[in-house]
Amino acid sequence: MNPFNETQPIFVQIRQRIANMILSDTVKDGEALPSVRSIAADLSVNPLTVTRAYEALVDLGVVESRRGMGMFVAAGARTKLLKHEREKFLAEEWPRIRTQIDALGLDLASLLNEGAKK
Amino acid sequence: MTDTAPNAVDATPTVALAPIVTARGLRKRFGSTEILHGLDFDIPAGRIYGLIGHNGAGKTTTLNALLGLTSYQGTVRVLGQDPYAQRSELMKDVAFISDVASLPRFMRVRELFALLTNVHPNFRQDKAQKFLEGTDVKPGALIGHLSKGMIAQLHLAVVMAIDAKLLVLDEPTLGLDITYRKRFYRRLLEDYMTEERTLLITTHQVDEIEFMLSDIMFIRDGDLVLHMPMETVSTRYTQLVVSPDKLTTAASLKPIFSETRFGQTVMVFDGANRSDLEAFGTVSTPTLSDLFVALMQREPGDHK
Repeated sequence: MNPFNETQPIFVQIRQRIANMILSDTVKDGEALPSVRSIAADLSVNPLTVTRAYEALVDLGVVESRRGMGMFVAAGARTKLLKHEREKFLAEEWPRIRTQIDALGLDLASLLNEGAKK
Repeated sequence: MTDTAPNAVDATPTVALAPIVTARGLRKRFGSTEILHGLDFDIPAGRIYGLIGHNGAGKTTTLNALLGLTSYQGTVRVLGQDPYAQRSELMKDVAFISDVASLPRFMRVRELFALLTNVHPNFRQDKAQKFLEGTDVKPGALIGHLSKGMIAQLHLAVVMAIDAKLLVLDEPTLGLDITYRKRFYRRLLEDYMTEERTLLITTHQVDEIEFMLSDIMFIRDGDLVLHMPMETVSTRYTQLVVSPDKLTTAASLKPIFSETRFGQTVMVFDGANRSDLEAFGTVSTPTLSDLFVALMQREPGDHK
């Protein structure tokens, strides 16, 4: 069973899973995240791929790498990550969705009404 | 090898930077048939290499040359040593599990460990026993009575216990069921891999180890036809599931491979701009087995 989709690089998908753990508060500020080794073994992926996923989150200031101890959720990570993910959605995904809405001849206002009814 | 440089730079090699394996012009012939036609490659430390090719392409011969199990022409260095001339010295730091590997069936597991303690300077019995604690293999068991899956675990235990810098696996999971195969790779990643250690695997079940690999080498009829990091694979090769109305235009962009299955045409491109291709259908990175099929279909000598 392949736990990944084919459209995104594996490290991006692993990064997203770790990000989701932080966004959903499964792992809180200051708490330890799973080790590179255990994620690599769990998903049968190269440890370098996992390291790359973590590095992307370290660069965002969301994860802290402590020498010899592993990876930890940085202070204020959830807020920072949420801001980043929202910006990314608006910049990258929303324009694509918007184009598709137009292409399908749907109307934004009535879609929002549909959503509100649920 | 002659060195004419007055101050040879590699006189004091930095261990961290020197490749674990170096091959230059590696050739092998059996009688009048040449099996390997001069391979050149380096394998750095901390990588997981997949050596992939058809039966008879020369995979096992290549591995045997690296392990000093066969003579060859050309230059090969493994951990700085000539594997054929310094085989016993090399075996302190190199381990090998092959599909035909045989442990003495008449021995009990603990007797095997006692034997290895005597013959291998780096074998640590406590490590081997500790590794087996997580498995179904009991120290008192007769090796001849163990199942294939348990033998694989015993092999791993031995490998872990000698702290090998290079581990070579030739079809390590052949004949193992899916549970044992998964367990085998899991323990490799959990217990073996570090930045200093290197893994070289050949297997026909590429899909199972695709994401474990850091680099791949495709070997075809004794030639290395592809050798690159996995990251490069995804930037260089693109697979396109072509929209039916775009077939002719897509074909004009010179795919290296095209196949129609059940009414759906799939093409593979080398060096194409991915966003350009998006106009013609659904774009993705080919899996290793798709790429293997695509590249192996090309005429010999056709590859740039």
